[in-house]
Amino acid sequence: MGPFRLYLKSTAMNMRIRMQYPLSFLMQTLAQLVMEGGELLAVILIVDRFDTLDRWTGGDLYFFFGMMSVTFYLTEFLGRGVTGTFPSIVRSGQLDTLLLRPRGVLTQVLCSDADPRRIVCIAVGIAALCMGSAASRVRWTFLKALALGEAILCGMLLTLGLFLIEAVFCIFSVKSVELVNALTYGGRSACQYPVDIFPRPLRTLFTAAVPFALTLQIPAAYVLDKPLFPWPAWTVFVCPLSGAAVFFAMAAVFRRALKRYRSTGS
Amino acid sequence: MGRAYRAVFGMRAKMELQYRGAVLGGFVCQVFFGLILVSLYRALYRGRPQALPIETVASYVWLQQAFFRMLLSSDNDLADKIRTGDIAYDLCRPVDMYRFYYARIAAQKLVGSLLRGVPMIVFAFLLPKGWGLMPPASPLALLCALASLTLGLLCVSAMENITMGITMRTLDPRGVQALLNLLMTLMAGNILPLTLFPDAWQRVLSFLPWTQMLDAPIRLYTGVRETSSVWGVLGVQIFWTAALGLLGMELWKRNREKLVLQGG
Repeated sequence: MGPFRLYLKSTAMNMRIRMQYPLSFLMQTLAQLVMEGGELLAVILIVDRFDTLDRWTGGDLYFFFGMMSVTFYLTEFLGRGVTGTFPSIVRSGQLDTLLLRPRGVLTQVLCSDADPRRIVCIAVGIAALCMGSAASRVRWTFLKALALGEAILCGMLLTLGLFLIEAVFCIFSVKSVELVNALTYGGRSACQYPVDIFPRPLRTLFTAAVPFALTLQIPAAYVLDKPLFPWPAWTVFVCPLSGAAVFFAMAAVFRRALKRYRSTGS
Repeated sequence: MGRAYRAVFGMRAKMELQYRGAVLGGFVCQVFFGLILVSLYRALYRGRPQALPIETVASYVWLQQAFFRMLLSSDNDLADKIRTGDIAYDLCRPVDMYRFYYARIAAQKLVGSLLRGVPMIVFAFLLPKGWGLMPPASPLALLCALASLTLGLLCVSAMENITMGITMRTLDPRGVQALLNLLMTLMAGNILPLTLFPDAWQRVLSFLPWTQMLDAPIRLYTGVRETSSVWGVLGVQIFWTAALGLLGMELWKRNREKLVLQGG
């Protein structure tokens, strides 16, 4: 079985596993709805009180928020093995088993878990995108839809890549490293809003080092017809590739780190 | 009487002091989040200044970050015991179970938030004006805020025991606990300062249990609530602490009578 089919099969299986306790699953999903609904409510209340944020209208803000939550939670849904379970795979010594099997470790980690609870967060994100698109009167074209799709895909790769940094730390330190959360969850919280509102150091961080601005926000701003940076139009389709680049770079580092892995014992 | 609970409190406090590495990692993370939030509110204020000065909003953010651990920390040992059925051993102890766990969670929240809160407050004081924490509105306001914060700690511990009481029924900590905790972060002003909520909402929210934990002391500290109204604030806090405490005790008593144990 090829890695892709293996992944699809495992994901279907993982989803069934999660739904074995329907009541508990329902409660947890409801909790997710409260969480992401609360985040959206915060943006709505901000728009209610302030109307605009620099040059961005309320509709624009909903759109940026939606981009981030759809991307981030699609990653948590489909890549839960990397974003959530990896530290416990290392701590329990299960990683040793993965190394013995004739498939790539990263593939197996991705196959190890899926988190269908996040579907409600993705739904909240889609609702925000629709609200934003309607309020900002977006005139959709084929190119805009294409830019949106590419942005979300590359954004997912970027998010996975960031969580891989944590995974690499984890291979060496066994304990999960809270510090990396600043990049992943911090990046998510900050880049729900367009980066040009932040002071220079933060703006540079989220453009050059953790490129959420390049992968998600340049395309989002293009859809809204308000370019984020005064760059030529073709950059809209090139910049998001930086997200994919982060992922492939981190996947390479991950493979090298595995070579140095010295089991957790017992 | 009471000695056992003081001992539990002291032991738990010492245990919480052990994880200093995790505290440092958490500290850097909280600072980063705090800076992001303050930058966001500053950007919003640039476009439309509000009646409430930005210094107050920044202080609100930093105090929320500093005492984050008081709001969101729970007794994982107890959750595990409920899940595995080991809670049966606790039933054999010659102490009142509610007070036993109340002492534990209060110690965990107190030491956990002091360890993180004190360095955070020092850090936030050093930031430039409008970015960091402002000094208390007056010496009296500081005193009132400290009294209010103490009550907040008692109140949030009582709330935590109710969450645990419900978990004893559902046996799975993830659903109810997550739901109540997430509701708390929103209603206690951790996601968006409550002072930026619509004014009509704020009037209603200030009577709900969630605002008694951190929002009330922060409002007294920053002077959003005048010190002249302190008795009203403390009164509502005392009411909720007592109400949640009594509710929790009743819930635990009933749980004790028909507790379903897991495992075997």
